[in-house]
Amino acid sequence: MSRNDHLLTVEDLQKSYGDELVLDGIDFTMDAQDVQVLIGPSGSGKSTLLRCVNRLTEFEGGTISLDGEDVMAMDVNELRRQVGMVFQDFNLFAHLSARENVALGPRRVLGKSKAEANDRALDELERVGLADQADSYPAELSGGQKQRVGIARALAMDPKLMLFDEPTSALDPELIGEVLGVMRELADEGMTMLCVTHEMGFARQVATDIMFLEDGRLVEHGDPERLFTDPRHERTEQFLRRLTELHGGGSES
Amino acid sequence: MSAERERRHADLERGLTYAIGGAIWLWLCFRWLNSWLGGVVVGPTEPLVPQSFATATESLGATLGAVGDGVPLVATGFDLVGWAVGMVGFASQYGPQLAVAAWLTVVLTVISTLVGLVVAVPLAAARVYGRVTKYVAFVYIELIRGTPLVAQLFLLYYGAPFLSKFIREVPGVGQGIVPAQAVWIAIIGFVINSSAYQAEYIRGSVESVDPGQLTAARAVGLDKLGGIRYVVLPQALRYAIPSWTNELVYLIKYSSLAMFITVPEIFTQADSIGSETFAYTNAYVLAAGFYLVLVVTASYGMSKVEAEVAIPGVGSSDAGR
Repeated sequence: MSRNDHLLTVEDLQKSYGDELVLDGIDFTMDAQDVQVLIGPSGSGKSTLLRCVNRLTEFEGGTISLDGEDVMAMDVNELRRQVGMVFQDFNLFAHLSARENVALGPRRVLGKSKAEANDRALDELERVGLADQADSYPAELSGGQKQRVGIARALAMDPKLMLFDEPTSALDPELIGEVLGVMRELADEGMTMLCVTHEMGFARQVATDIMFLEDGRLVEHGDPERLFTDPRHERTEQFLRRLTELHGGGSES
Repeated sequence: MSAERERRHADLERGLTYAIGGAIWLWLCFRWLNSWLGGVVVGPTEPLVPQSFATATESLGATLGAVGDGVPLVATGFDLVGWAVGMVGFASQYGPQLAVAAWLTVVLTVISTLVGLVVAVPLAAARVYGRVTKYVAFVYIELIRGTPLVAQLFLLYYGAPFLSKFIREVPGVGQGIVPAQAVWIAIIGFVINSSAYQAEYIRGSVESVDPGQLTAARAVGLDKLGGIRYVVLPQALRYAIPSWTNELVYLIKYSSLAMFITVPEIFTQADSIGSETFAYTNAYVLAAGFYLVLVVTASYGMSKVEAEVAIPGVGSSDAGR
């Protein structure tokens, strides 16, 4: 099958830190508008996999292609322009207001004028429901608001693909819903998303596909209903059962 | 009730501080202007108050100092009072000379810290993010911090005569308000020295910026330099202000080392007043007063800057909002 058919193709991805193999032959593809959820125990390589896609982490073997283009052959900054990323710890720029956080990319990377970048930032903040907090600084925002700014910041670059690295893990339970709400809207609008998350309610309702990763290997993947009702591997079943026990099958609903 | 009184007390204190500080700075600026214009009002180092005032306070001081002679403690007390009164006369007479010299101290310090800062920022960035430049910055910083400032000044002034020669030939040097070549060499020395210290302060604050923010900047598509420029440094430089103020305050006083290469700044002038009058203690105390005024002004100004650029919601003070 040609790579050109998919938005994202990951083939035989290998990554190790020293002697330790963190990713061991990962293969999967994503089409435009897919929402791929990545689950697995901590240390299984989920975040590393995400970071390989936008080359925040360099990998040793295999290929990743975005829209048919080998990411290793792309200019790294150009690649990152096309791939938005949302972090567990938000990583907002502490000295900039919400608006300035979102406008920095359009202004300094896309070379837009200050006014254009500002307008764009306000649009994106509006999209995540934070138009009224545009002039607040990160330290003045709640965790949920920070993460929504983080999402707006990534969206302002018009990414083809959004990577979410446990976007709700650092949030108080009552703030998780607002972030998942924004993510669901994005999915509805047709954004292609690769998410590391253990929010099973979100995964069940929004994901087109769920992948279970353990010890750097892709143990199982499939559409949410199948995976939840009829997992083929015992480990998948155990892991899902534990998650469901913990989160009651979907903390947001 | 008591809160009201406390507030009034604070107001009074602030008012007094501004009045005294304002008066001193008004006088300093007057002396500088007068000196630049070649002494249009009075001679550049001539006092405003008549010589007779100084003579009168000095003899009053001597009289007070003689009171209670022979009685322990009382004699010492009056000695001190007498000295303080005499000091007023001394200050009125020699203050103008030191005021003119204080201008050089200001020039030395301000130019050196600012240019030092410009050199220090890339040094600090290299120290944290550089691969090869990291070692270059490290060697520079350790070499400069590890050797005495006086030795560095001597090396530049006496050990590198071509430098003096070169600077002397730059048009304008030593004319009008442009200082002479020794001052420029002192500035070069202070810039080299101060940049090494400032680089270490800034390195500390660069390292205190959460690295995740640089990752986020990279993830948006900024290159490393852009991330450092737009995300890390704006924060690091803010966090460096308190220690940077420390460096500024140090340099105000360390600039007295320029005396060793003939720069007529405050300390040089105090020394020559001392040898002229043999009142060394008075001359040095007066010089110390000038340094104190400069230092207090500098730290006050920097605390204003710090409050001005504070990031809302960050830090212990609510100065930002």
